[in-house]
Amino acid sequence: MSALRQIAFYGKGGIGKSTTSQNTLAAMCHYYGQKILIVGCDPKADSTRLILHEKAQSTIMQLASEAGTVEDLELEDVCKPGAGEFNPEDETITDGYIMCTESGGPEPGVGCAGRGVITAINFLEEEGAYDDELDFVSYDVLGDVVCGGFAMPIREGKAQEIYIVMSGEMMAMYAANNISKGILKYANTGGVRLAGLICNARMTDREYDLAKNLATQIGTQMIHFVPRSNHVQRAELRRMTVVEFSPNSEQAMEYRELARKIIANDLKVIPTPLEMDDLEALLMEFGLEEEVEAEAIGKRAEEA
Amino acid sequence: MFVCGYHFPASMGNDVSMDKVIEKVNGEAGDLSSISSIEVTGETAKGEIVEKFTVTPGSFLFTALADYYNKSDVPQKDGFKMIYYTNKYQISEISKAVDGDDAKALCRKLDDMNLYRLKIA
Repeated sequence: MSALRQIAFYGKGGIGKSTTSQNTLAAMCHYYGQKILIVGCDPKADSTRLILHEKAQSTIMQLASEAGTVEDLELEDVCKPGAGEFNPEDETITDGYIMCTESGGPEPGVGCAGRGVITAINFLEEEGAYDDELDFVSYDVLGDVVCGGFAMPIREGKAQEIYIVMSGEMMAMYAANNISKGILKYANTGGVRLAGLICNARMTDREYDLAKNLATQIGTQMIHFVPRSNHVQRAELRRMTVVEFSPNSEQAMEYRELARKIIANDLKVIPTPLEMDDLEALLMEFGLEEEVEAEAIGKRAEEA
Repeated sequence: MFVCGYHFPASMGNDVSMDKVIEKVNGEAGDLSSISSIEVTGETAKGEIVEKFTVTPGSFLFTALADYYNKSDVPQKDGFKMIYYTNKYQISEISKAVDGDDAKALCRKLDDMNLYRLKIA
């Protein structure tokens, strides 16, 4: 048995992090028989819905609130087996399986989501959820770590291997760079490393070049370029992953290839984040922004 | 890291040189003398074929595409195999740097957002 790998998917809100992570983890299970525990760290609790074929799983924080405290919960209350082929008892397609849990968080505008995340992780560890059979624990984390709460899996030394989901859009790249700063901050104390950028493509011009160059400059790799496909939405509408919905489709093959690379990946680095000026220079070099004269800053199109 | 589907160990860093990639692809591709050409199609997200061209031997582009075709186990469609977007961009990037003008012109097509498929002849 190989050592348990604790990975995390980070990225800008709305970038397709949960969709990408679930489809990739599903491919790791479906094609490569990996045994996985997903720990959703997003108060939206949507990190496991495609694996469970459900709207949203009851979260640890929600169930703890109903029961009184987290100590009143049992592992079975919060950790559910994936549906269909991802269930440990279903070995028709794969020996692998996926277990699912969601940390949950406070109501919008109240409290600290990071506290919920760490409470949930500690509970799972104490209750034996990280058992010897598992190949991977995967954390799906909201946002771009501008709030320290969302850096909790990194800060506490839980997630060791970080994949940043990004695209060729400026804010996605800004967030990827910011997350790299967060990783850098804790790299020496907790051992966390950046393992790669996953470009969840918006199919904009020169997006591959842009993503690849950002990756190179911050010291990592652009591990895979995931193209946009209607299969993803079609599968999502059925609360399924692409590898279940259409296992021989081109999109399923793309996730399979990303899964293969993650399993074999050994390039885990301390990132070298860019300064904002360098990030803007990169965007200009690859044509997302026209370089403008200093006097044009802040002027409307008809004035410039 | 991964280039053209091959794994290069972490000790080689995050920016493996094109020379190393070419050496790897040439070494792994083996004897391709039985392949006279590679038919390539490009299609939109709706499946409409908008590009059709042939790649002949004598370039990195040919070697890399032929090697991909031989190694890849993606499902075939009328003898055609899809090529991963990552691989087509990586192959194109190297080909544009080392191949002649004909191959470079084909690579500019590969750089678009369409899905490409290959068939060897």
